[in-house]
Amino acid sequence: MLTVDDVTVRFGDLRAVDGASLEVGDGERVAILGPSGSGKSTLLRAIGGLEKLESGRILWDGVDLADVPPHRRRFGFMFQGYALFPHMTVGENIAFGLRMEGRDPSEIRARVAEVLEWVGLSGFDQRTVDNLSGGEQQRVALARTLAPDPRLVMLDEPLGALDRALRERLMVEMTDLLTRAGTTALYVTHDHDEAAFFAHRIAIMREGRIVQVGKMEELRRNPVDDWVADFLD
Amino acid sequence: MTSRRAIWAAAALPLFFIGYFFLYPLGRILWLGISELQIADLLTETRIARVAWFTLWQATVSTVLTLVLAAPLTWAVSRFEFPGRRLAQALVIVPFVLPTVVVGTAFAALGWRDSVWAILAAHVFYNVAVVVRTVGGMWARLDRKVEEAAAMLGASPWRVFRTVTLPLLRPAIIAAASIVFLFTFTSFGTVLILGGFRYSTIEVEIYRQAVTLFDLPMAAALSIGQMIAVSALLIVYARRQERTASPLVLAPEASTRRHPEGRTAWAVAASVAATLAALFVPPAVLVVRAAADGGFRRLFVDEPVLGRPLDAVPTSFSFAFVATVVAVVVGICAAYVISRRGSRLSQWFDVVLMLPLGTSAVTIGFGFLIALDWPVDLRATVALVPLAHALVAVPFVVRATVPLMRSIHPSVREAAAMLGASPGRVFRYIDLPIVMRAALVGAGFAFVVSLGEFGATAFIARPNTVTIPVMIFRLLGRPGLGNFAAAMALATVLGAITAAAIMVMDRFRSTDLGTF
Repeated sequence: MLTVDDVTVRFGDLRAVDGASLEVGDGERVAILGPSGSGKSTLLRAIGGLEKLESGRILWDGVDLADVPPHRRRFGFMFQGYALFPHMTVGENIAFGLRMEGRDPSEIRARVAEVLEWVGLSGFDQRTVDNLSGGEQQRVALARTLAPDPRLVMLDEPLGALDRALRERLMVEMTDLLTRAGTTALYVTHDHDEAAFFAHRIAIMREGRIVQVGKMEELRRNPVDDWVADFLD
Repeated sequence: MTSRRAIWAAAALPLFFIGYFFLYPLGRILWLGISELQIADLLTETRIARVAWFTLWQATVSTVLTLVLAAPLTWAVSRFEFPGRRLAQALVIVPFVLPTVVVGTAFAALGWRDSVWAILAAHVFYNVAVVVRTVGGMWARLDRKVEEAAAMLGASPWRVFRTVTLPLLRPAIIAAASIVFLFTFTSFGTVLILGGFRYSTIEVEIYRQAVTLFDLPMAAALSIGQMIAVSALLIVYARRQERTASPLVLAPEASTRRHPEGRTAWAVAASVAATLAALFVPPAVLVVRAAADGGFRRLFVDEPVLGRPLDAVPTSFSFAFVATVVAVVVGICAAYVISRRGSRLSQWFDVVLMLPLGTSAVTIGFGFLIALDWPVDLRATVALVPLAHALVAVPFVVRATVPLMRSIHPSVREAAAMLGASPGRVFRYIDLPIVMRAALVGAGFAFVVSLGEFGATAFIARPNTVTIPVMIFRLLGRPGLGNFAAAMALATVLGAITAAAIMVMDRFRSTDLGTF
């Protein structure tokens, strides 16, 4: 279980995240929804260990992660724009996390094939990443994130740059995949429909604060203030 | 966010390297020059005043001559399209990459030693490429419509050139002139070989005071003067660059070139042929005379004092190899730090690591000579020469690799970290493979720089560490036509090796590097 306890992240004078608290249970999918600039991505990066906390704690199963660097957290992170490794093939990209764990080559090969099949890209492992379409890149990034079987998957606007029809299809596929695997996931987006479709619960973020958490119907029915009501409208 | 610890770990080696081999010797020079109060003597001694005046005079004249003599070729290759244009542009670079000792020996082979004209001619020969590249680069992109507009308004071709073209080219001309001035102001090898005892620049005088007369405080004082002069030049140049960087009427390069016709075609042909022929003569005479005088045979024969000239070749190659490895390791570590933007350390590094490039090689050699006896006496070891070469070469490696490292989006490294890669492994699996090819190009530069390095090596070479350029210089200083022939032959060998290395690198750069 992930616990975000009163976390603040500061960039100079700006509090990008301002006393945010949130809990995500095992197997639960939570979306962080808010307008651009509200600090959603920064919060996600802070959970990953990529931003320094000004104050507050991030815990996994009750253990404080303050001294655990990003590469030891065993969290998966899918970046906006995917951040695929340009000098590696599709297969090498996906194998990277497994190689870092020191798994043996035959096991890695089997796992890469398995994950590629999940995302519908069987046989793509020798392809170079710069020849992929946007949707294919997205799937490779997702496969790369899931391959090492992380204890938490974080997705930062994972469908951001794609066209509408493709987004809808990938949304369904991705949610289906994570549901079957029972993955604990955090999903950052500014799109209500994506949030509602993907997540069990939604955390609304505004100016660095988490202003309300709940299921979409609850939030719509009982918004804490006018701003949330307007935002969800 | 890259962890601070990772950055400092990468910074440690370059910090030590630059600190101990560059900043510390510089400090010792300053201390030596100031503590012995020689600066005051500088101003009173007439020989020094003459040297300073000559340095300034020859740099100015060399610069003006280079600009004037390079103008026809620059005009031809940037304004016109003709068969062989690319070849002409490539050939003109060759003199620029030749080691100074080779150029000096080539002009000595013409029989021009001990004269001002030899020095000036060698400087022009060496720097024509700078003008063709810098001014030609801009001229080729100058929109012809601007000139045509002036012509339609009644300006004659000459007035168009004077009132439109020349003013528009001014920033490029000033940039080229500054670079040529800086090169000729700090010219060492050519002047030392061609100037005899009569003509001495500040660089040559530092060498003479330190090595021949053993007046170290005087040499230190001269070094300080030289550093001040060079820094002032660089600052003025940087200021100028800022001020004149105005948006221009630029067009795509290909669109401005015309096929020359009628009388213009003759002028273009004459410009190209005359310049290339002039540039061809010195190296050709060097090779022909080296062969005719039996120089190549002499390379295998023991000279009583210097030993077998050809023995300098393996020495140079092993030094170049070590210097390249050191420069690449230090350079890549430094590039890693510099490419992590935002940290103050990275900005500071960016400046400090380029300093050896703006410092004369003579100063570096002199600093090694007086400073590296502490804490252990490195001066007696063979490591000294390759270390000096590595210091000169590091900026080339940094320049080659930093742009690629900066091109790696931060999220790519973060993605690797989130997949379980420690900072060290991020460097190994992400940074290193991506910059590998650029690092190889940087390594090629380092190798060529080391092979041709003369200014620093002249100070610190010992009988068992004689490199090719030092051997050439010593052969030139020995009496007898046989030694002169051997010097010419060895210069031919060095020139050929350098040209071959540059060609290999150029091919490597244009084909393989373009894939990212």
